[in-house]
Amino acid sequence: MKAGLFIATAALYAIACILYLFQLTRGSDKGRRVPGTVFVSALGAHLAFLLFEAPPGEMPLADISQILSISSFGIGIAFLLASYRFDVTILGAFVAPLSLMLLLASGLGSSYAPVSPRVESAMLSLHIGANVIGLVAFALASVAGVAYMLQERLLRRRQLSGAFQRLPSLDVLDTIGLRAVLTGFPLLTFGMVTGTFWLLKANGSQFYVSQALGLVAWAIFAGVIVLRVAAGWQGRKAALGTMMGFVFTLLVLAGYAVRAAAGSA
Amino acid sequence: MRDLVIVGLSHRTAPVEVRERLAVAPENLQEELQEIAAAAAFDEALLISTCNRVELYATSMDPAQAVRTAKSALVSRLADSTQDEVLYEERGVDVVRHAFRVASSLDSLVVGEPQILGQVKEAFDAAKAAGTVGTLLGRCFTQAFATAKRVRNETGIAEGTVSVSSVACELAKKIFGNLEGRRTLLLGAGDMGEAAARSLRQTGTQLHVVNRSDDKARALAHGCGGRAVPYEQLAVELAEADVVVASTASPKFILTPELMKGVGRARRHRPLFIIDIAVPRDVDPRVGNMDNVFVYDVDDLQQVAEENLSVRAREAAQAERIIEEEVDSFVAWRRSLELAPTIVALRKHFAQIADEELLRARPRLEGASPKDRAVLEAMGRSMVNKLLHQPMTQLKGGAGEPDGALLIDAVRRLFALSDDELEAVERTTEATADPAVTQLTPAATGPTGESK
Repeated sequence: MKAGLFIATAALYAIACILYLFQLTRGSDKGRRVPGTVFVSALGAHLAFLLFEAPPGEMPLADISQILSISSFGIGIAFLLASYRFDVTILGAFVAPLSLMLLLASGLGSSYAPVSPRVESAMLSLHIGANVIGLVAFALASVAGVAYMLQERLLRRRQLSGAFQRLPSLDVLDTIGLRAVLTGFPLLTFGMVTGTFWLLKANGSQFYVSQALGLVAWAIFAGVIVLRVAAGWQGRKAALGTMMGFVFTLLVLAGYAVRAAAGSA
Repeated sequence: MRDLVIVGLSHRTAPVEVRERLAVAPENLQEELQEIAAAAAFDEALLISTCNRVELYATSMDPAQAVRTAKSALVSRLADSTQDEVLYEERGVDVVRHAFRVASSLDSLVVGEPQILGQVKEAFDAAKAAGTVGTLLGRCFTQAFATAKRVRNETGIAEGTVSVSSVACELAKKIFGNLEGRRTLLLGAGDMGEAAARSLRQTGTQLHVVNRSDDKARALAHGCGGRAVPYEQLAVELAEADVVVASTASPKFILTPELMKGVGRARRHRPLFIIDIAVPRDVDPRVGNMDNVFVYDVDDLQQVAEENLSVRAREAAQAERIIEEEVDSFVAWRRSLELAPTIVALRKHFAQIADEELLRARPRLEGASPKDRAVLEAMGRSMVNKLLHQPMTQLKGGAGEPDGALLIDAVRRLFALSDDELEAVERTTEATADPAVTQLTPAATGPTGESK
């Protein structure tokens, strides 16, 4: 049952990916809502999978695999909210692959050991929860950034038919990028503070690569926000910075995964 | 047999000086139509008048005569110098095809432009109000609207923008999203620049005009609903604008990298879209390499417009196929209209012969009792029915086939069913147009079925 749900979810994400990409590159008015429908059903299957997996009455945040899985789900939900607000459904072409990737990564890690046996700690749950929501926000910002880079490139190269027509305007993509980073940053900050606090309490002076990577990501996002707000940064540079920050947040997760895998071996 | 005709002129046949002399304002359409229909004795009439075409659609029992009267109705409005050569005419199914193509914007100056359908609808409404629309034109135009909708939905004929101004607007929207409240700076007074600025103004941007000559700037700003700004403030205006339309007659670059670098500091990375419509160019190409500055020159815009046009041309082929399908369906409907009167007339013709023969035989049947006579009459009817049974079946079955019209025509000629005879029937059945066939069919063949 669990494996079946996982496979169904992955398959639906994959189909949504293909349909979205097809719509982006070929696009026609026919079957406009089909990719979105498939994506929503993928989210439905994913939710069922998460509920099935989680112990009763608890959030499915117990180990790195579940964190990856719920991040993937959260990105889908954030995307739906954003497309409700901005009419950017075509961004599914970037969101769906990301969701699929994170889900598959979570599947790889299904044998990972729990992050810690003491997951019942409320602070740890808060720490993980804040970081997951932050990650989701950064993922959305980064997707908007990728779309911005692509759209700007098409505009500069005068390739104005096809994808250019279907992607949202630069202004909208930039706005989504800014707002998502502004949402994610306080959460990441909170996650960093609680994480360090918890770490010091638990392990004393031990220092992990993940913490270093997290710090780098935090610094990058802080820089992006400062430059955006203070120096009026917009567009390509801001998008690049956001994408870089997101890569480092993914590296943090990868660091956890590697450590968990090593720990269980 | 009643048939459709059209006489008209369009951008394909007549220059604007001629077209504008014929054009009828929408509010006068109804009146004009009543006049024409009354004078020319058409059965039905419909007048389409746009800036690119004036066309008179009509139906008449005598199409050749109708074309002549329609022509003279239009020519009388033209000055005598230009006459017949600018007018085209079609008859029969070609009229239907033409109407479908016009409504679907395949015959437009800019293929796929959306206004024509509304204009045709207006013409149709005016004709309905004037009471000059009957079965044929009614069906023709309602189907034309459906065809236009199909063409719009099933092909990409209306996709993309095809003029330099509208391409510029589309691009601006792709950069800034909503243009409401953005600012356009028009630099110089070229015609094309003015047109682009006007289009941008219509999307809700504010318009500022800068020109070397302040008088010209003021005149231009007044004409486009913008604000004239002295040339000395160019740098300030550049710092505040979102879209710049450059169309000066200057022989050298006005927007140089040096100038734009200074402006860029004040802009603080806000995106700037520069449309360089001037020839020679006003904007140094290096400006286009700056961050968040997008420069398009007239060739770029022209190219986009042409690409979109060629896409439309490709889609037009697909649209023509849809038109042919719809024309076929109109022809089938028309034939079903012809079939019903033919069947009725054929039965009437045979029954008449039987009655006449009975009448002729009567003097020689003096000894016959009323009962015998009744038997004879029944026999006559029965023979008519039996003789007609097979031809009727074939006729009904074959009318829907591609060569159904030939079959109907053959029957008419074989039995010398005159147009008068048919028209008399058609008049009585026309009110119920489409269902006529199904209603008439059992009545026409009923007795045959009973006698079997």
